[in-house]
Amino acid sequence: MASITTRSLIKEYPGGVRGVDEMDVTIHDGEFFALLGPSGCGKTTLLRTIAGLEKSTSGSIKIGDREVTNMEPGQRRVAMVFQDYALFPHMSISDNIAYPLKIQKVAKAERHSRAEEVGDKLSLQGLLERRPGQLSGGQQQRVALARAVTSRPDVFLFDEPLSNLDARLRLEARTFLKKLQLDLGVTTVFVTHDQAEALALADRIAIMRSGKMQQLGTPREVFQRPANTFVASFVGSTSMNLLKGTVADGGVMIGHQKVALPADAVGRVGDGQEITWGARPEYLDISLNPVHGGLEGTVTVSENLGASALITVELPENGDLVQVVVSEDHEPVIGTRLWVTFEPRRTLLFDAEGLRIGD
Amino acid sequence: MTAVQGSTSTAGPESRQMLRHFLGLMGKSVFTALVLAFFVIPVLWLVFAPFDAHPGLNVKLPEFTFNNFKVLLDNPTAIASLGNSLILALGSMVVVLVLGSLASYSLSRVKIPGRDLLLYTLLLLSSIITGTAAMVPTFLLMVKLGLIDSQFGVILVLSGGILPTVIFILKDFMDSTPKSYEESARLYGAKPLRILWDVVIPLARPGLATIAVWAVVQVWGNFLVPYILLRSPSKSPAAVVMYTFYTEGGQPNLALISAFSLLFSIPVVAMYFFVNRRYGFRFHGGIKS
Repeated sequence: MASITTRSLIKEYPGGVRGVDEMDVTIHDGEFFALLGPSGCGKTTLLRTIAGLEKSTSGSIKIGDREVTNMEPGQRRVAMVFQDYALFPHMSISDNIAYPLKIQKVAKAERHSRAEEVGDKLSLQGLLERRPGQLSGGQQQRVALARAVTSRPDVFLFDEPLSNLDARLRLEARTFLKKLQLDLGVTTVFVTHDQAEALALADRIAIMRSGKMQQLGTPREVFQRPANTFVASFVGSTSMNLLKGTVADGGVMIGHQKVALPADAVGRVGDGQEITWGARPEYLDISLNPVHGGLEGTVTVSENLGASALITVELPENGDLVQVVVSEDHEPVIGTRLWVTFEPRRTLLFDAEGLRIGD
Repeated sequence: MTAVQGSTSTAGPESRQMLRHFLGLMGKSVFTALVLAFFVIPVLWLVFAPFDAHPGLNVKLPEFTFNNFKVLLDNPTAIASLGNSLILALGSMVVVLVLGSLASYSLSRVKIPGRDLLLYTLLLLSSIITGTAAMVPTFLLMVKLGLIDSQFGVILVLSGGILPTVIFILKDFMDSTPKSYEESARLYGAKPLRILWDVVIPLARPGLATIAVWAVVQVWGNFLVPYILLRSPSKSPAAVVMYTFYTEGGQPNLALISAFSLLFSIPVVAMYFFVNRRYGFRFHGGIKS
């Protein structure tokens, strides 16, 4: 068990591209920590640098109170689960699970009993004599986890652990993973490009883009109070509506329509300031009757989400699109004229650089 | 339906087509038979001649006898030479497997500028080492090294000739081992040699088996190198000893040569079947496809 601290960590590739750029992050002891971002954002590079598989260009990494920046991967007491699980195809499941112990020169009988013990904990009973190729994707993933558990590491590192599973199995494995982490209480860092996975699993999420940290916070903070427009549009199963506007007499002008100033932004903006107004589709509602302070528009698309529908409303004049999640009972037909309503405290303002205005 | 209509109205073109088809089939069969004969006749000779009381250079049903083998067993150099062949073949195989897997693994994992050029150049030049052109310099080199008339020297020269091809082939096998396997082992504290032994070698086993057979076959059949580098007949391998089987009249002793040839070819054929059965060309993947 240990915390992880990076200080001004930089990983620069030949040619000057920075996979990780000035990363300062502290991951607490026992925390389930997600690194989230689009592909190529440097999240896997950061994970591999913590593991020691990539050498950092500058900066430092500490695991617990041990300085590991220049340590060999094998000495860092970390265990990693790879996206392809990296199970050794020529070894039995039992040998795979016990491989870390073989390296530590543990006797064969002891290795076997430890493999059995861990296998039981991860519901792999009866599979220990098989080869990885004979197991399903979900079972293979549990074997990879079991191998990581056997080495009794200070830190777990998961590289997209769920992305090779099909959708139904992924949900199952997600719950399993969360329970396992709770039981073991080992500090866990996992990389994902799936924001839903990050929101569901993590205690805290770091969102990265081009090697730089965009925001670090709890799932709720990241979802409700994104630090900038990038996070706002990346997190959430539907991305946040972001509309260009200007501040004018205590409100925001979007085209010719005026909406109320978000609670956070009151007193922090001046008239005439160019801003971006943001609101999550889940926090918006519709009304068929004119509403003062609502946005008037016409429904152009309606997508069924099961118990709800995602409708797209086109505003007149400039053709801005606003998406709203409405319950199945209120789904309007295409072409309906309606008013989009909201609570001002659920809306956000971003400045010209895309940073959120407010605390 | 169309065939029936065709035969009633126009019989001419139909039968001509059949004739052409028949002739084509004949031509194909004759050609195949010729090609087959070209390859099969020497093999038939090898099967029949050893059991013939009066073997010649033609293939004929033998006047059956085991006498040729009796003569062969009475010839002390013949049987000993098979042992020598074995020493050379297995020695080279070990050298080639050990050096080849180490070299190909490092070449596969470490990025060196001009690596591919190096590999191709080595591959091109390798045929020269054991070829005729380099025999004089090779001989002089071995004299300087004091390795003339040494089986170890022959093993070194033969391995040197085979290694570039081996490295070239094995590198492909090493390349196809997923990096995550090694990284995973590394994270648990395994050192490079340990990883090579535990993870990479087992996965490259079909490749190594192929290489082993190929190396043995190459050395087993090599005549020139041991002929030039070995002086004493007691160290000569079978391929060289066979060259000395003449009758008193100066004619090749076909009885001895044919029987010996059969014995000489059995180990190689057997080894091929054994390795093919044991390893084949399977590859167990650990990844969901």
